Amino acid sequence: MGNLLEVEAKQETFSINLEQPQKKDFLSGAQAMMECLLAEGVETIFGYPGGAIMPTYDALYDYIDRLNHILVRHEQGAGHAAQGYSRVSGKTGVCLVTSGPGGTNLITPIADAIIDCTPLVCIVGQVKSTLLGTDAFQETDMIGVTTPVCKWNYQITSPDEVPEIMAKAFYIAQSGKPGPVVIDFTRDAQAGKMTEKFDYKKVNKLVTYRPRIVPKQEQIEKAAELISKAKRPYILFGHGVLIADAMQELLEFVEKTDIPCASTLLGLSAMPIDHPNYMGWLGMHGMYAPNVMTDQCDVLIAIGMRFDDRVTGDSTKFAKQARIVHIEIDPSEIEKIKKTEAPVVGDAKEALKMLMPLVKKGDFTGWKNEFRKLDAREHQKVTLRDLKGEGKIKMAEVVAMLSDKTNGEACIVVDVGQHQMVTARYYQFRKPHSYIASGGLGTMGFAIPASFGAKMGAPDREVVGIIGDGCFQMTIQELGTIAQSGLAVKMIILNNNYLGMVRQWQQLFFDNRYSFVELKNPDFITIAKGFGIEGHTCDERENLSDSLDKLLKSDKAYLLEVLVEKEENVFPMVPAGTSVSEIRLE
Amino acid sequence: MTTYTICVFTENSIGLLNKITIIFTRRRINIESLTVSETERKGISRFTIVIKHDKREEVEKLVRQIRKVVEVLAVFGYLNEDIVYNEIALFKISTPIEGKVIDVENINKVHKAWVVYWGLDYVVIEKTGTEREIFDFFKYIKPHGIIEFVRSGRVAVGKTPQGLIEYLPEEIAEWEYYL
Repeated sequence: MGNLLEVEAKQETFSINLEQPQKKDFLSGAQAMMECLLAEGVETIFGYPGGAIMPTYDALYDYIDRLNHILVRHEQGAGHAAQGYSRVSGKTGVCLVTSGPGGTNLITPIADAIIDCTPLVCIVGQVKSTLLGTDAFQETDMIGVTTPVCKWNYQITSPDEVPEIMAKAFYIAQSGKPGPVVIDFTRDAQAGKMTEKFDYKKVNKLVTYRPRIVPKQEQIEKAAELISKAKRPYILFGHGVLIADAMQELLEFVEKTDIPCASTLLGLSAMPIDHPNYMGWLGMHGMYAPNVMTDQCDVLIAIGMRFDDRVTGDSTKFAKQARIVHIEIDPSEIEKIKKTEAPVVGDAKEALKMLMPLVKKGDFTGWKNEFRKLDAREHQKVTLRDLKGEGKIKMAEVVAMLSDKTNGEACIVVDVGQHQMVTARYYQFRKPHSYIASGGLGTMGFAIPASFGAKMGAPDREVVGIIGDGCFQMTIQELGTIAQSGLAVKMIILNNNYLGMVRQWQQLFFDNRYSFVELKNPDFITIAKGFGIEGHTCDERENLSDSLDKLLKSDKAYLLEVLVEKEENVFPMVPAGTSVSEIRLE
Repeated sequence: MTTYTICVFTENSIGLLNKITIIFTRRRINIESLTVSETERKGISRFTIVIKHDKREEVEKLVRQIRKVVEVLAVFGYLNEDIVYNEIALFKISTPIEGKVIDVENINKVHKAWVVYWGLDYVVIEKTGTEREIFDFFKYIKPHGIIEFVRSGRVAVGKTPQGLIEYLPEEIAEWEYYL
């Protein structure tokens, strides 16, 4: 075996010497990668260097003036930052990490991005192709590991493959139902020279992959017929509306038909909150009327949403009286959960444009008033209690005050748990792409990296991360990234010294048995200061307004810790696996 | 439980088998048999996957999930009555000098099986047919002593007058033929 390796090594040297003179004018695989990123209009990369990706980082050194690289503190941070960047800007997020642990640390964001339909291109270093399968240093089978959680993956083993594969990668990531693409880039493919001139052709069509953008006319007609006959129609819209940039079309459709509408959690901010037809959002901790009215409507028009179990509760009981129109770009979502009478496979924007001339002007004043009546009940039972202003500060008060101070126009990045639900309830979203959350996967630790990612994607917007004390400690190291990059990211910790949502469940469904949910927290402000980020703690209600002003007025990154009520519960709540009619208000 | 045969056309590339089979794994569906090979069109593979399931709608969902894999061209799901299908099996049968003589005529005429190799004290018999026909032959030949037995996965074609390849995207027509 030893002899064989020697022979191979000799041959390699020999061939390089022989061919180098005629090859030296061509780009290396790593340089080609940089050119591909430029050709795709990439401006920002989130990454972390390491052994197997070093040739690419070396090439990046010559592109610093054109590609803004943000050095994170952990690869998970790179992934979530790229997600935040993409969600707010609509562009594809790009991550650059090394092999082995670099790649495996990226798995959580990849899994998060596939379930929340976020376009990412993750370039992961890999050992030399001759070492593949030998348990080489930092070798992990990234294709094997990422296959179940990504939209597409490919291992590049030759520099000549780079332009074609990257064009394909960007097209797949951002077209149809967007998602993460993983490019496993072997070290020899990075370091080796191409054998031909670099030529980049953007891809907008693939033989095997052809998402339907424009729906079939007969599907549109059937949907229009169902909608036109409805007496109590109800629109549920989701993230698909934001992804398809169909906010204007949705607004026009709603205004023409006068149909009441509600949002899913990730659809938040697709519709201005003060619109008279907007009834709020639904789901496990969603609002009372939007949840309950799914049991009352006769035609349910689902747009760019997928009947997630956090929306439906017990799906067999969800809207079972309703005839369903489902507008969705991914055909595998049709009838995955709910029997659908009028499926429309296509992009939400195109579908709404085609539906517009076929639907008639409506007046559903009476039907809309039924929602409003239920709203009053929720206001009485939940909102007034949350905003009463007695005892310790409540999460709701912080969010409501922040909403007022920012006029509902900030981009809010939340983590996962009670604070996430409270923010969805009390922030008055008036601008699209303003609620950035890990919805499908529920990834704690999402918000710090996603906040600075969002700030990169929308530098002119006020970006505020609202984060729980548990979540904050999952990616706390990314404060270093924020400090180093000088981004004016504002962060609020709603600190209740508990893993609040788990504690709430333990209280309600596990007989008050608080199993490992209490946290002994560090001094967050001292930690932030250690990273070079200013901040302060607010413990008193009378200081809250000034504290938020200080946070918002800072022209640098700032951390505000608010000590909130320890054992506060989030209502309304549809207990898991039950029907929405069993929604609890207290 | 109903038997379903799923035919999948894909690009012939590394890792595709894994990308297809994990869709079954995630939904806890066992694969009864699996046959993969390149079709008459270069670069296109055809999978024939046999599963048993008691809910048709779950199989339909499975088919749509397979279709979602980027490298997949088309997926077709069939019930047994919709297809013509077969498998191939090889039997290595002991034939010692003092043993019972194998009845080649019966094997040929009744069981439609053929001796494809004569060893010194064994023969190899090839039998094509459905699972049932192969197991019927298995029972018949067992008393002779089966040294080794192997059965392939199912291959199947639909009973429609068209070939499945006609349903594939038009661009495929330009792809090079093998012959």
